[in-house]
Amino acid sequence: MSIEIRGIGKRFGNFVALDNIDLDIPSGELVALLGPSGCGKTTLLRIIAGMESPDHGQVLFEGEEATHLHVRERKVGFVFQHYALFRHMTVFENVAFGLRVKPRHERPSEAEIRRRVTDLLKLVQLDWLAERYPSQLSGGQRQRIALARALAVEPKVLLLDEPFGALDTRVRKELRRWLRRLHDEVHISSVFVTHDQEEALEVADRVVVMNQGRIEQIGTPDEVYSRPASPFVYRFLGDVNVFHSRLHGAWAEINRLPEGAHAGEALAFIRPHDIDIERFEQAGSLAARVQEVHAIGPSVRVELAHGSELIEVELTRERANALGLSRGDQVWLRPRQVRVFAAEPAGEEFGSGI
Amino acid sequence: MARNVLPGFRLGLGYTLLYLSLIVLLPLAALVFKSAELSAAQFWDIATGERALASLRVTFGSALIAALINAAFGLLTAWVLVRYTFPGKRFVDALVDLPFALPTAVAGITLATLYAGNGWIGRHLEPLGFKVAFTPVGIVVALTFISLPFVVRTLQPVIEDIEPEIEEAAAVLGASRWQTFRLVLLPAILPALITGFTLAFSRAIGEYGSVIFIAGNMPFISEITPLLIVAKLEQYDIVGATALAVVMLVISFALLLAVNALQWRMANRHSAAGARR
Repeated sequence: MSIEIRGIGKRFGNFVALDNIDLDIPSGELVALLGPSGCGKTTLLRIIAGMESPDHGQVLFEGEEATHLHVRERKVGFVFQHYALFRHMTVFENVAFGLRVKPRHERPSEAEIRRRVTDLLKLVQLDWLAERYPSQLSGGQRQRIALARALAVEPKVLLLDEPFGALDTRVRKELRRWLRRLHDEVHISSVFVTHDQEEALEVADRVVVMNQGRIEQIGTPDEVYSRPASPFVYRFLGDVNVFHSRLHGAWAEINRLPEGAHAGEALAFIRPHDIDIERFEQAGSLAARVQEVHAIGPSVRVELAHGSELIEVELTRERANALGLSRGDQVWLRPRQVRVFAAEPAGEEFGSGI
Repeated sequence: MARNVLPGFRLGLGYTLLYLSLIVLLPLAALVFKSAELSAAQFWDIATGERALASLRVTFGSALIAALINAAFGLLTAWVLVRYTFPGKRFVDALVDLPFALPTAVAGITLATLYAGNGWIGRHLEPLGFKVAFTPVGIVVALTFISLPFVVRTLQPVIEDIEPEIEEAAAVLGASRWQTFRLVLLPAILPALITGFTLAFSRAIGEYGSVIFIAGNMPFISEITPLLIVAKLEQYDIVGATALAVVMLVISFALLLAVNALQWRMANRHSAAGARR
């Protein structure tokens, strides 16, 4: 089922949680709402679910007005960060809950409930835990049960609020791949909220980057990472070095600033892995001194000083070995890809790099 | 297994038993010994005397009603105090403990004055045909007053423990408010509710101070067993008083044991989990 969000706004006291949000979620897509805490992503999700009502604007399900529909009638599945399983019920009863509370004429027979719950538990690969209580399960298992419970009522939309937020890194990685596979199997429109960019980029079909109650960019994971629409998106999705053209005159030239923009008014954004380190000076390269060299897993992170400023560069292990860098070395930096935004007012784009 | 912070099992258990023996068991044993001065037939006569039986009915009956009232309204109070914020919430919260702090005689006199035929409340009730003070209804009012904190204070931490998300989860799954309460919330708080009910009930059974002022103390109608015991003591019929006390003790103990057994069964059913974790 498709979801359309039209001009949604929400305030809590003086705090603007959502500022005129428009968003289309096509049927069957897995969409991530990504942003720092307090950006309004959870509020938006709760408005879609009907747990929160917007001050203005509309929510349409499949083109039909749903803004004032009660939570019960929205037919959405919701997965909470802290699972919210019913502690006094077994796993089986938790999953069966949505079926058992249906009005008598809609309620499936006991045999049918048993069959459906068993199928769902098989889908989340936990059918062997049916008679356990939630307190006997690990965090990852609980979240999978919560998901099975949400799917039991055959929702038209699945909403997940930081579903992996309370889990440790390894389980998290496992679960998000699993969620992706599950989505490909069930193919239900899904929206999940996360503050973890890696999670959003890996799992989602489309990523909606939010900041301070607004949408900064909507795009595929590749688009938002390689062509960020604003300085905020650049900063939020991965590490980035920011160069002020005023201080880095030599580089401002390579950036080919657009007409009318004076050097000194622009910010150049360069990712750490888009900078090359050379031993010899070349036209347009920037002198720097090596401060720290950290080998982190497959890559090597080099911290360099240009004047009083710190620049981070990420090299492959091979490249780092070839260079043989050590602390105090004088080197020259060359950017491979730069993106320039006007410094003030923030967010306005002037041109893009080489 | 990790070492415990508290002293070992044997020392701990030894202290517990010694302490309980000195504080609880010893006085109760003395009571039973004292009543043993009576022959079985004499004991039976005192225990099943018409006036004694009537007083037991009044005592246990009104305590039960009061505890039931508090189970319902104490649950509501605890819920409101935990889940909602409103001006003066701290004040209301403090108010709940007042029946604990007030000397029960003061409570009794206050209530009697309020509910008497010329009191603030009694004045309006009397023309409607409700007599509260100096009737068994008055006993229930007094017992409800003094046993309120037990239910509220037992339930508060348990309700605080239930995340609001649990209710939202039930609603998203299509449960009505009533279904959410009956299937999700009530099972979670029932053990605590029973504990609170039991505490309120036992407190009400033993209450003396507040009741005698408001009950009117008419034999066969509004006379409670503790009062009958005091009356016997005043006539230096110490053995007779202890006999009645033993009867109360046995009934109370049997009731508490029954409630506890019920609770054990429930706890085992709900969190077989906890035990095997």
